Parts: sequence; C-alpha cells; structure tokens
Amino acid sequence: MTTAKREEQVLSEVVSELGLDKQNRATIGRLLTHGGGLAHAEEGSDGRMRATIRIPEDELIYEPSILVMPHGGEIDIELLNDDTNTHCALLPSNGDYVWQWLPNHSRGTVTLDLDGPGYYWYSSNVGNDEGKGLFGAIVVLGDVPAEARLDRPAQPRV
Amino acid sequence: MTQEYIDAPPAIKLGTSTAQVGTAPPVAKDVTYERILNAREGEPQNWISYYGNYDGQRYSLLDQINTENVKRLSPAWVFQFGSQGLHAGPSTYAFEATPLVVDGVMYVSGWDGWVWAVDAKTGKQLWQYKHAIPFDVSLCCGNVNRGVAVAEGKVFVATLNAHVVALDAETGEALWDTVHGDVRAGESATVAPLVVKDMVIVGSSGGEFGSRGHLDAYNINTGERVWRCYMIPKPGEPGSETWPADGEAWQRGGGNCWVTGTFDPELNMLFWGTGNPAPDFDGEVREGDNLFTDSVVAVDVDNGTIQWHYQFTPHDLWDYDSNMESILFEQDGRKLLAHFDKNGYFFVLDRTNGELVRVTPFVDRITWGEIDANGNVTPKIYPEKEGENVHFYPGPAGAKEWTHAAYSPRTDLFYVPVQDTGSTVARRRREFKEGIPYWGAAVTVDSEDMRGSVTAFSASTSEEVWRWENEIPMCASVLATAGDLVFAGEPSGEFNALDARTGELLWSFQCGSGHHSSPVTYSIDGRQYVAVPVGWGSWVEGFLPGMIGGPHGAGLFVFALPEE
Repeated sequence: MTTAKREEQVLSEVVSELGLDKQNRATIGRLLTHGGGLAHAEEGSDGRMRATIRIPEDELIYEPSILVMPHGGEIDIELLNDDTNTHCALLPSNGDYVWQWLPNHSRGTVTLDLDGPGYYWYSSNVGNDEGKGLFGAIVVLGDVPAEARLDRPAQPRV
Repeated sequence: MTQEYIDAPPAIKLGTSTAQVGTAPPVAKDVTYERILNAREGEPQNWISYYGNYDGQRYSLLDQINTENVKRLSPAWVFQFGSQGLHAGPSTYAFEATPLVVDGVMYVSGWDGWVWAVDAKTGKQLWQYKHAIPFDVSLCCGNVNRGVAVAEGKVFVATLNAHVVALDAETGEALWDTVHGDVRAGESATVAPLVVKDMVIVGSSGGEFGSRGHLDAYNINTGERVWRCYMIPKPGEPGSETWPADGEAWQRGGGNCWVTGTFDPELNMLFWGTGNPAPDFDGEVREGDNLFTDSVVAVDVDNGTIQWHYQFTPHDLWDYDSNMESILFEQDGRKLLAHFDKNGYFFVLDRTNGELVRVTPFVDRITWGEIDANGNVTPKIYPEKEGENVHFYPGPAGAKEWTHAAYSPRTDLFYVPVQDTGSTVARRRREFKEGIPYWGAAVTVDSEDMRGSVTAFSASTSEEVWRWENEIPMCASVLATAGDLVFAGEPSGEFNALDARTGELLWSFQCGSGHHSSPVTYSIDGRQYVAVPVGWGSWVEGFLPGMIGGPHGAGLFVFALPEE
C-alpha cells in the first residue's frame, strides 16, 4: 500500500469513527461525498457514456458520490431514488441546468453534456438536502484538444 | 419483495421552469459588420458592441436624459438573478458585464457561464443559456464575465473554462463551441468578444498562472480559428531579445488579453492591451523588458500580426497590466489613442505608429517609479530582496482597473474612474508549476488611507479639468452621453449622474450592492434608458479589500424618466 493510500484509509477510518459518514451522528447531516463511493461511467462502442446513481434509504447521499467520466461529452445517467422520501437532482449541463424530480422510489433519466476536464457539483436543491449530504461530484478526466493548448514545451506539474 | 420503481416526471431544463418567454425576436439576424462599424451615428438607440462603438469612447448620442431632468430619473425595471448550487468561486462571483441592446432586446452575460436575453423595455427574461463550468477551474480574479458580442443572428460568449460559444440569438441554443484555451495550464476566459468582419476576436486569461497570453480570431459561422497571435515571442521571434536567452521564462511569460480591444477600420488595426508578465512580482527570473507584456499592441485584424507596440511598464514588478481600453480619437487631423494605465499615467499615442504624443500622471500618489515626458521609465520602489516588504502606489489593481473611462466629443474630456490605493509586497520566489498561482510574492493591499474619484482630463492637453471625489476608490466603468452626463457607480452601491462639464453630482440611486461593471444607454420607442449590472465581488482583495465584506448582488438596474 502506498503512503497516500494508507493516509486515505486512516482518514476514512477517523471520519467513520467520528460518525461524519452517517446522518445525525457527529454532525446533524453527513459530510459531503463521504460514504457514497466512487464509480466510473461506462462508455459504449458509440462513445456515449452511461452511469447509474441511486439515493439509498435514510442516508441522504448520492451513490456513487463521485462519478468519473473518462473524457468530456454526453452521458446518460439513470437516477434511482431508493429512499422513502422525495428528493431531486439539479445537474450541470451545457445549455442549461437539468433538473430531475425524484419522488419516493422512482426512476428518472437525464442526459448531460459536460466539457471537462474538471469536476462539477450537483445536488438536491430542496429543503436542505444539500447540507445533509445530497451533493455529488462528476469528475471529467482528459485534456483539452491539442489545438487549444499553448505552443510551448511541456511544463512541470505538481 | 422487490418494489417496482415508478417513473419520475421527465427531467427538464431549468429555464423551462421559469417565467421566461423561451425565444427572442429575430432582431440580431440583421446585425452586420457594417452596422457595428457605424453603430454610434447609425443607430444611437442601440448598444451593439462592447464599447458601443469600435472607438471605445463609451459615449452615446442619446440626450433625452440631460443635466436638467436627470433628477427625475427613476427605476424602470430590475432583472434579478442569483446563484444555484455550488459553483466555482462561490465567494467571488460578480456581475461585471456590459449589456448589449439590439432593437429592444438586451443580451447580457453573468458569472459562471450564464447568458440571458431580456426584453429591454420590460425586463422580462426571453431565454437563458448556461455553460457548465468546472468547480475547480483556475480563476485568479473571480467568477466573472464581461459581456457578449452579437452579429448575424448569433450571440458570442467566452466561458470561464476557455471555450468560445456561439448561441442562436433567437433561442439561446448553442450553434458551435470551440475550445479556446487549456484549463490545465491555468487558462480561462472572461473577456467580452468583439466581432470584426466575419471574425469574433477573443483574448486569453491566466496571467497569474504563468500561461502564454494570446489573442485569437474565429470564424463567426463555423467557429474555426482564423489566426492566433501570441503576446510572448518564442526564441528568435521579434521581441524575444527582451527575455532571458537561455531560460524558460518566455514559456510562462503572461501577457494575457482579458479585456476587449478597440478597432480602427481605416488602419485595419485592433488595439489590444496585454497583461502583466509572470511571475507578477519576481523580475529576477525574467530579466529584460518582457515584451509584449503591459503593452498596447496594434494587430492586423486580417492575419493577427503585430504591426507596432507600445510598452507602458517595461519589466513590470508591480502587476501593472495594460489590458484596459485604448480610446480612439482624432485631434487636428491626427489619429490618436488614449490609455489610462494601471501604473498611474495617462498616455496619448499616435495610433498609426505607436509614437508617444504625451504622458502625464492621472492619480495623486505614484511612488513605484517615474515616467518622464519622453516616456522614459525610472523604477524607484519595487520588490527586490527576498522577503523584504516594500510599499508602493498604486497597488496591483492600479490607479485605474480594467473598468473603463469614457470620452465625450461634446466636452472634449475624458472621464476616468480613479483608484488611489497602495500595497505592500514582498518578493517570495517559487518554482513554476502548471495550474498553480505564480506571483512570486506575498501581497497585502491597503484597506485604509485610500480614496477615489471620477476625474475629467482635457483631450487636447491631458490636464485635469475637474474631479468628483469619493472617500473610497471608484471601481466601475463610466458612461458619457450627449445629455452632458457622466454615469458612475460606487463600490458602496450608489449609481451617480455627474454634470459632464463640471463634475457636479446631479442624481444618485442606491442599488444595494457595489458596482464593478459597465453601464450603457439605449432607447426604445423614443424613451431613453440607462442600464447597469450591479453585483459586488470579483478580486475585491486586490482592488478594494476595505470593502471585502460588501454585499454580493446579482441585479441589473434600468432607469428612465417617468412616462408623461
């Protein structure tokens, strides 16, 4: 195990021990993106990306909390609300935000267009779902096209 | 038992769940290059490009609102917006734009990728466009955008993640989207594009991250790049002798182009200001004058080549970008250019060749150095020794920030928003790493002993004619009109009308948030309006830290005389 992974594990254990990854334990809600895990979008042979995100019962999180797209483009996301309360998702997309209402135990599908690279937050923008933990991140990997990069030798990064 | 999911209602675009109309009338379809070229005289009822006209004068021929009746000016409508969710720079978003108006429709951009079309008579939203901006995009100076361009049925916007997008002016739908810069290299885009001929001109942002500044032209119909002009020469190119011969400094040299330039159709030249060299304050790693940073460059609009340049602050050690406008005017048959630089000096140049005509200070306190009447620069106070504080005037925001001056041909005066604030800086060397701020210093801008003004200067002599003084710096663009009025917003929220001949304060309205944008004027059905975006924010820590607690806002106020 690398030092970084070991530090990450220790952090997760400490967070869990304190209860920051649960509702109404250490804090009133749950610390953002802790507990929902990370998943990668699937890319079809047509280049279109797909993923599923669910809201588990009584946890007030999106699962996965971190969704990774291998590159910018369009992605279809199935949203499943397994909770016994109603929530929603306000998601970034070029053109306008996409808003999906999610009654108890419902399923909705959204299509997003994201440039990347970078990461974007989305959330359930009702009540204080956001403060409780219903925030998720969509991470877009990759680089900008070669023609958009600066004409200079490769530069050092951290 | 497995429970079947019910189908949730269909997902919607957020804008469809508002009171917006959804479409705008096709007024932008016939906005041609010729119309933009003749905008001031040809259609004073509109404000169809960034400065209202290619000359950058920010002067309108409209005179219904004048020194006699301005005291009756009242709000006609207000367009309000706000932030949703968690977006980039949540503490720094600001409403910095210049609204454009075409035959009754206003097109205006906001922070975080927003663009709106609004009925300019009623304030009703017609459509909205939102570009999704990564939360982690590199922004030195806030989540801001300075405006859009309009032509041939399209609205052009540069996004914070360095894309250039053309929107259908009737629906707000994207027609093309071209990647303009590299966000991994610390690049972004905040500039209002400028349409010239069949091209849309867009500059880079990212000088605080050690990028290599550039100005680009894209075909307005396809989004294909026509040319790119780098503002830092490669080894062997003209100007490269002003960079260390054996180093990598030029690769990270800065010189970005984040404010809209002006254009002379007869000379076929763009006049574009360039930003600070990088690192901002550590000059030892970039010996030389560092061309073409802190300059105005005259660029051939057809091929993107530099015809001449004038550097206002050679080998900058104070963060004195020169992006701010170059106002084009004529005197005794001579084609001139006026520029109020961050370094506190007012330059008049011959715009045919870049020759210096006059240079004079326009702010009371200048301690960083001195520029004599021939343009010779003598640095006096600058960060030199590692860790040693030096204090100088003006601070890094300059005696005038990017916010614009105006020129009235009726009075032959320039009107300048002035900031008189100092700063303490200590050189702190650091290695360059892509995407990490690259200032080379620790910086604290004064939050006491500061002041500001709107100051009027003679275009003939450059001498000060009058001054309207304020207790704190003036950080918003001004607007001059044929009604002999100068409109100027304050950081504390007041929107003022001054007598353009005397500087007397004639009218004021408290907008509830500080001004850091550019007001415009237009008319519909014979009624003149004055519009100003209001929303305090951006890099307040740099230009006015004494107001960093000022209320954020996100409104666009429009004023008119009461209807009879």
